[in-house]
Amino acid sequence: MDELKKNTPRLSKLKKENPFGTPDKYFDDFSARLKIKLEAEKKIIPIKQNLIIRFLKPAIGIAASFAIIFLLANLPIKNFLSQKVANSSVETEFSEADYLRAMEGIDENSVYSLIEETDEGIEFSDEDLLSYASANTSEYELFMDLNNN
Amino acid sequence: MDNDDRGLIADLKQENKRDLAFNTLVIKYQERLYWHIRKIVLSHEDADDILQNTFIKVWKNIGNFREESSLYTWLYRIATNESLTYINSNKRKSFVQMNDTSEFLMNNLVSDPYFEGDEIQLKLQEAILQLPEKQRLVFNMKYFDAMKYDEISEVLGTSVGALKASYHHASKKIEEFFKNID
Repeated sequence: MDELKKNTPRLSKLKKENPFGTPDKYFDDFSARLKIKLEAEKKIIPIKQNLIIRFLKPAIGIAASFAIIFLLANLPIKNFLSQKVANSSVETEFSEADYLRAMEGIDENSVYSLIEETDEGIEFSDEDLLSYASANTSEYELFMDLNNN
Repeated sequence: MDNDDRGLIADLKQENKRDLAFNTLVIKYQERLYWHIRKIVLSHEDADDILQNTFIKVWKNIGNFREESSLYTWLYRIATNESLTYINSNKRKSFVQMNDTSEFLMNNLVSDPYFEGDEIQLKLQEAILQLPEKQRLVFNMKYFDAMKYDEISEVLGTSVGALKASYHHASKKIEEFFKNID
């Protein structure tokens, strides 16, 4: 710092006086004036919030009217469609009485023939078996099977 | 932070004590902040406006003050930012085309009825106005307010080393200015 003083002799010679002044009793009145400004500021904040609502009001109104129109149009359509779907389901519904009536119509022989008609007529050659086994089973599994048997 | 300020902040954050505490804060800090602002903007009228804006900002933001720095530093920081913002916005609004901030501020100073300095003081202000913004702030805080580098560092968010260098450069430039007018 001393070195700086040596290097700035003209600046160091100057008196460190405050060259600025204020009006009389400026600091005595300041807090009272600030209070007035602050009160005004407090009122501005809710007004600003109201302004945002006022700005958004038309958009909110349009959105609400679209929602009402949608609901008004949608409700009758929904009711009409659900009624139609209900009617069509009545037509296709298969009651238990209908099922029993259908079962009574089938004779015993047809039922037995359906049950026994499983693997009859299907024959496998040795080659088919060999190719199936080689495609689906590993050598290790075959070896383990042979050992178990 | 001193205990008075801690109590003041606690009161400012309570709705029922807020008005009284704020009044105490204003009375305690108004003069120090005013002189800090006045040295940046030079005219009394502008300094008055900025001081009011500073306190209104403090009122609005006291809830966000995290007490990581001292109240005094926080207030100084707000006052500094408000002053620089004010200068920049008014320079743009000015009818006369200003080449730079120093020209705008010199006009402010010359037209201010509350400048009471002599010719040498006016020259010193002119010399300070030739400095870049940061150097000007550092010079004012160190030369006139005799603030410690640590405090200036907290206000301006600059390292102490950089502040010392800034003050050194600023002093040399002002010395050079006086040398040239001799």
